Amino acid sequence: MIEIVHPGIMSLVIDGGRYGHREVGVPPSPALDSYALSTLNHLLGNEDNAPAIEVFGEKFSLRFNADVCCAITGAKVRASLHGRTLHSWMSFEARSGELLTVDNVMDGFRYYVGFSGTPVLEKIIESYSTNLECRFGGYRGRALQKGDRIDFENIRTVNMQRIPEEFIPKMNPPHTLRVLKGPEFHYFTEDSLEEFMDSESRMVFTVSTKANRTGIRLEGKPLTFRVGADESIISEGLLPGSIQVPGDGLPIIQLHERTIGGYARPAVIAKADHDLLAHLKPGDSVTFKMIEMEEAESLYDRRMEIVTLLKKGCRR
Amino acid sequence: MNISRHGEEGIRILFGEKIDLEIHERVRRYYFFLKSLQLKEITDIIPSFRSCLIFFDRKKTSFKTLTASLQEKEFFIGHVNIPEPKTCEVPVEYGGESGFDIDFVASHTGLSEDEIVEIHTSVTYTVFAVGFMPGFPYLGILDQRLYVPRLETPRLRVPEGSVGLAQLQTGIYPFHSPAGWRIIGKTNKKLFDYNKEPYSILQIGDKVRFISV
Repeated sequence: MIEIVHPGIMSLVIDGGRYGHREVGVPPSPALDSYALSTLNHLLGNEDNAPAIEVFGEKFSLRFNADVCCAITGAKVRASLHGRTLHSWMSFEARSGELLTVDNVMDGFRYYVGFSGTPVLEKIIESYSTNLECRFGGYRGRALQKGDRIDFENIRTVNMQRIPEEFIPKMNPPHTLRVLKGPEFHYFTEDSLEEFMDSESRMVFTVSTKANRTGIRLEGKPLTFRVGADESIISEGLLPGSIQVPGDGLPIIQLHERTIGGYARPAVIAKADHDLLAHLKPGDSVTFKMIEMEEAESLYDRRMEIVTLLKKGCRR
Repeated sequence: MNISRHGEEGIRILFGEKIDLEIHERVRRYYFFLKSLQLKEITDIIPSFRSCLIFFDRKKTSFKTLTASLQEKEFFIGHVNIPEPKTCEVPVEYGGESGFDIDFVASHTGLSEDEIVEIHTSVTYTVFAVGFMPGFPYLGILDQRLYVPRLETPRLRVPEGSVGLAQLQTGIYPFHSPAGWRIIGKTNKKLFDYNKEPYSILQIGDKVRFISV
């Protein structure tokens, strides 16, 4: 069992996501950094999409009431366990009674804390993920609070491992996000699109303080709608990573909590860069770079190969 | 019907460019056609006013293979079993504290509160899509006389059960939620239950009638 001593700024239970029900508006609500989640689960000998705790903010702290293996991935943090200093992207053993505290977040924003066992929580619509807005899934449908306790079953001992540095992604700003053309690309003026998506032109946006787990609002020079283009569209199915531009011209990057949207989409973030979205924090600089589909596919496939490589390394 | 790729794992099948019952019927038919195929490579489908968005698994198929296979099976679309639309009655308490925008709607449209209720309850609405949040039905087509613009700045939170209007649509918020629509009333009817299937009581093509209580 673990007990939350400090929830950081926000922590919640997530897993690989809730799929197959977007037709009635159920969003996937997965871990925002899926690479961090699968790597975490690899370190702990769990299934790829097994549940973990997604945290942002320092001071997150929990007490172990059982011996269990634990790991942290995602943002690079410095943590301490009963006086020992620990880092992310490695597994470690925790003994009953010990206190884990995250003291500093160095690179990145969100980090993932996982355990070598299965949390005793109810799956809602086939997933452990918390839908914060509708208050279901995860731990009683809400963010974790001081004093919350989670039991674990099937606790296993696993070999301690560390993820090699070359497999840890870069999470620090400035961020360059690669994008593909969206359905309403032609709603915007050529000049505006060129500035927006050409990384050479260095059109820099800043992550707004209004960013949350649903969407990331950006501030900067607004995009210009072409004369005659509608500022809203007939609401339509939405891909995660869609860049929506409302009437004010300032882009919003949609994450995984909405299934239908009604704003023009000049672009969609390439899947290879979706995990990076978990690490965009208020004030960070963001530029966009348009790429072709073939490149987007191979970038993502390469990312997936790393996960496979890590697993093979484990078997050897 | 226009098929295009959207992102790495999306296929957007577009049936038209307006809110229209005939286009809706084609979207709906195509959606049930897709469901009837029970393809493992399709992970999610979002049918809405004028399109179906298909999510596919690139580990199992490619855009080319999947679209070719869908086109091959298209002859079957006309033979798909489409469920008979259910009609659902939704009791609404109009105006007052639960319908806090009804005064705005009245002044914008020049109608009295009674007239608004009368017009809103006189139409059998079609569910054009369910989404944005779990169980939210996009209902149309609203009587022209009730046309109101969306809020310029959406409210951060409206209570669950709120019934709203925007342009030629009306809808019901099944959960507390941010909202850009004008709220004219509130219902106690539960539209979404995450504990039992079907989770959403409404699906595309179903009908809704509002009843003033």
